[in-house]
Amino acid sequence: MKRAEPYLYTAPAVLLIAAVMLAPLITGLSYAFHDIILLDPLSGDFVGFDHFREMMEDDSFWTALSNTVSWTVLSVSLQFGFGLALALLLNRPMPGRRLVQALVFLPWAVPGFLSGLTWAWLFNPVIGPLPHWLTSLGLMTSAENILSDPHLALWGPIAANVWWGIPFFAITLLAALQSISKEIYEAASIDGAGPWLRFSRITLPLLAPTILLTVMLRTVWVANFAELIVVMTKGGPADSTQILSSYIFSLAFQRLDFGYASAVSAILLLLLLAYAASVMALRRVMADRG
Amino acid sequence: MLKAALLSLLLMAPARADTSLRLVEVLTSPERTETLKSLVAKFEAANPGVHVEVTSLAWGSAFEKLATMTAAGDSPDVVEMPDRWLSLYGGNGQLENLEPYLARWKETPGLNERAMNLARAVGQTAYMLPYGFYLRALFYNKAVFRQAGLSAPPRTMEELREDAARIAQLPGKSGYCLRGGPGGLNGWVMFAAALAGTNEFFHADGTSTFNDPGWLAGTTWLIDLYKDGLAPKDSINWGFNEVVAGFYAGACAMVDQDPDALIALNQRMKPEDYGVAPWPKGPGGKSYPTLGYVGWSIFQKSAHKDLAWSLVAALGGPAGNLVWNKRTGALPAYTAAAKDPFYSDPVYQGWFAELADPDVVPTVMPTDLPGFAYFADSLVVRSSQQALLGQISPATMNKQWAAYLTKAKRKQAEALR
Amino acid sequence: MKILVRFLHYLALSAFLAFALFPLFWLLKVSVTPNDLLYAEGVRLWPSRMSFDHYGAVLRHSQFPLFFRNSLIVSLATAILATAAASAAGYAFSRFRFRGKAWITGLLLVSQMFPLVIIVAPIFRLLAPLGLTNSLSGLIVVYTAFNTPFAAFLMQSFFEAIPKDLEEAAMIDGASRFQALRQVVLPLTLPGLAATGGFVFSAAWSELLFALMLNSSASVSTFPAGMMGFISKFSVDFGQMMAAGILALLPVCAFFFLIQRHLVQGLTAGAVKG
Repeated sequence: MKRAEPYLYTAPAVLLIAAVMLAPLITGLSYAFHDIILLDPLSGDFVGFDHFREMMEDDSFWTALSNTVSWTVLSVSLQFGFGLALALLLNRPMPGRRLVQALVFLPWAVPGFLSGLTWAWLFNPVIGPLPHWLTSLGLMTSAENILSDPHLALWGPIAANVWWGIPFFAITLLAALQSISKEIYEAASIDGAGPWLRFSRITLPLLAPTILLTVMLRTVWVANFAELIVVMTKGGPADSTQILSSYIFSLAFQRLDFGYASAVSAILLLLLLAYAASVMALRRVMADRG
Repeated sequence: MLKAALLSLLLMAPARADTSLRLVEVLTSPERTETLKSLVAKFEAANPGVHVEVTSLAWGSAFEKLATMTAAGDSPDVVEMPDRWLSLYGGNGQLENLEPYLARWKETPGLNERAMNLARAVGQTAYMLPYGFYLRALFYNKAVFRQAGLSAPPRTMEELREDAARIAQLPGKSGYCLRGGPGGLNGWVMFAAALAGTNEFFHADGTSTFNDPGWLAGTTWLIDLYKDGLAPKDSINWGFNEVVAGFYAGACAMVDQDPDALIALNQRMKPEDYGVAPWPKGPGGKSYPTLGYVGWSIFQKSAHKDLAWSLVAALGGPAGNLVWNKRTGALPAYTAAAKDPFYSDPVYQGWFAELADPDVVPTVMPTDLPGFAYFADSLVVRSSQQALLGQISPATMNKQWAAYLTKAKRKQAEALR
Repeated sequence: MKILVRFLHYLALSAFLAFALFPLFWLLKVSVTPNDLLYAEGVRLWPSRMSFDHYGAVLRHSQFPLFFRNSLIVSLATAILATAAASAAGYAFSRFRFRGKAWITGLLLVSQMFPLVIIVAPIFRLLAPLGLTNSLSGLIVVYTAFNTPFAAFLMQSFFEAIPKDLEEAAMIDGASRFQALRQVVLPLTLPGLAATGGFVFSAAWSELLFALMLNSSASVSTFPAGMMGFISKFSVDFGQMMAAGILALLPVCAFFFLIQRHLVQGLTAGAVKG
């Protein structure tokens, strides 16, 4: 009975997730090998790897793949960079810190689509101030909507994503920072280490495991996060903001081609699993070394 | 004692025979929902024991919502069916054949010929009862026109371009509200057909006409309009809401729209500031405004088909139809309705002028083709945006459209065999 | 020198504060701008004429209060259920070493790795015969499943901060493990529970895709789905939409305001081990 304990404790979670997420996932992925057009009663034939072959020739797929990489790398690195900066700033005691901390974490409470809509407004020169401010700062030549410019459009959703995601990193990193005991820093400064050395020799290495795990989870999550893009640009103009998960959405619900959509999802899942596996391996290497 | 019990049982019986019908509307807006509910209430009053559950799907997600529900077996009894979806549902056997019901219905002769033809668009079988038409016309901002020194709306494509150029010189204003995002296909077809002098989508052999020089000249003309700055730079991403908003904000002075845009405009613009004119004619002397239609359909899986038909008849019969169209802004499906004083309003004159003019040829989009929704909502949007940006040439864009449509036509021909 | 550093410190924090609050301010601004000024005065920082009409319309004429209530029910239920399941699982991860632990952890991780869009149709098919589509309970089941993995990892890190000796001592005294958990460990992880619950609450509160796809009747629509209704085919009622947005944000922001400190505290304790 004792040995069954861990299984009993994990059972509710496991059963629920297996039933509601994994079984549907397997069903969903199985569509990748069939021709499934929603509402077409004649579809459903097994087509083997046809969809995957189609994918190799599909320009939209490759564009979406490269956009997914840009979207994820830029969003996560900016979220992390600013989140770390914010965490460092909040780590020092100062009057009103509690209030500032609470206020600065508010964006996390805003639903994704609402922040997308708000930012879309902010970037629209007719009804938002940003294009005008950017022009007066000399960053833009004329006050236009960056969401209509294929070279700049992705920055719109990225800005919204960074705004929304900074609190996540800030909270996690602040917690990690606060767990480093002050004595280590004191010992280091007695030994003559300046702020930069303290940061790079003490803070970073101690934070590294947390950073790795958090960044990994976040990256996977952001790669799958299409809501902001769908709300702000619908993948346009001309696919310049289409990422894999928004492409999957349009394949499934506009073309009603569930088979092909599942095939693309399968590839996305594989890529993310490979990424997660390599991060875990890196973490183990660092743990062994350090 | 027994008698009383039996009597009360008898009295209870009708109440227990409650049937429930599910009605789904998709072009949802607060005004439409209100009107629909009042028509439904009248139906319920006339049919005691029947309860109609009205589900209003938000338009932005209605397509995928209805598709998901239907695919999982959860379809309603009666649904508002836009022309674009007819081939998807009708062509896949999801909808009830309405011919037998129409044959018995006394109001059928009152429906105008166009209504009947459109109802039978898929498989020459009536899968819907159309309630109204949407005919595109040119909306123009009178105030901005006056500012640019123009006194009348353009009557030809050439004049449209000239007027647009004049208006674009005013600071902060642009000539044409281009719909470069979702739903823009109708605009492309109207411009291109006017310039091509034809609205034929296919040759006799079933190949698409989009590669023909006439159509190519047409799409190039519109692309040049954008590239020359006569439409706002932003408009490449504009959908319905942005286009109408751009119009009433005065950012662009002309737009192609259906009568149902009047509802939004009336709330935000003064009647003297905008006008509706017939769609401008091309060099061939003809214009080809697009004609859309929506109606009521019954799902095959419905368990109460006769009752569902009664509901459709109540909503789509002459009385209900008139009430509905007055609030929703479609042109009526009944011949007699056009004489209703409501339509003598000067704003409607633009449309009735179009309908009376022999050189104006209302054009029905090939919505009966399989995969048309994807063509219009995805392929056209992407390729037209690429062409507007200069990433691909107009010829390439036309070729992509032609290839897709030819394939779809072939698929349709095979299915009929 | 010290004053300069202090000044820069405050400057940087103010910049972050401005960045975080400006979009919220803009939301507020649009919600109090009357319709006719919405586009005419689009770029101004505050409308020349304020109006609370949008709030009135949202509260009195739309079905927003109903959507709000539905969201509240779904989010609270999800928060409670997910936190419960996650605590059990998180406790097991923290305290036990058992065969299959790696598999289960892997399972939970994989569940976070794919776009949820591909399981919309399978889930619909799963729930329809059970009568759970077009219902609040169906959403609760689905949301609980979606949020339990991440919540389990959170709870694991909270439990790591509590030394095992505590429940071991209780068990030596004759309590069962479950009793020890309930009476000794849980009270200490209360901040962690609150933080996890708050996290799940705000995730369920914001969810749009499944709320839109699984439920169609207004009687069971949540507020994100309801907000999409402000975008009709014919016009977008931005003023009302933003007013609804602000109203919906108030409870979540307030909640978040209160729990974020516990979130940081709780994570701090578990972070180094993490």
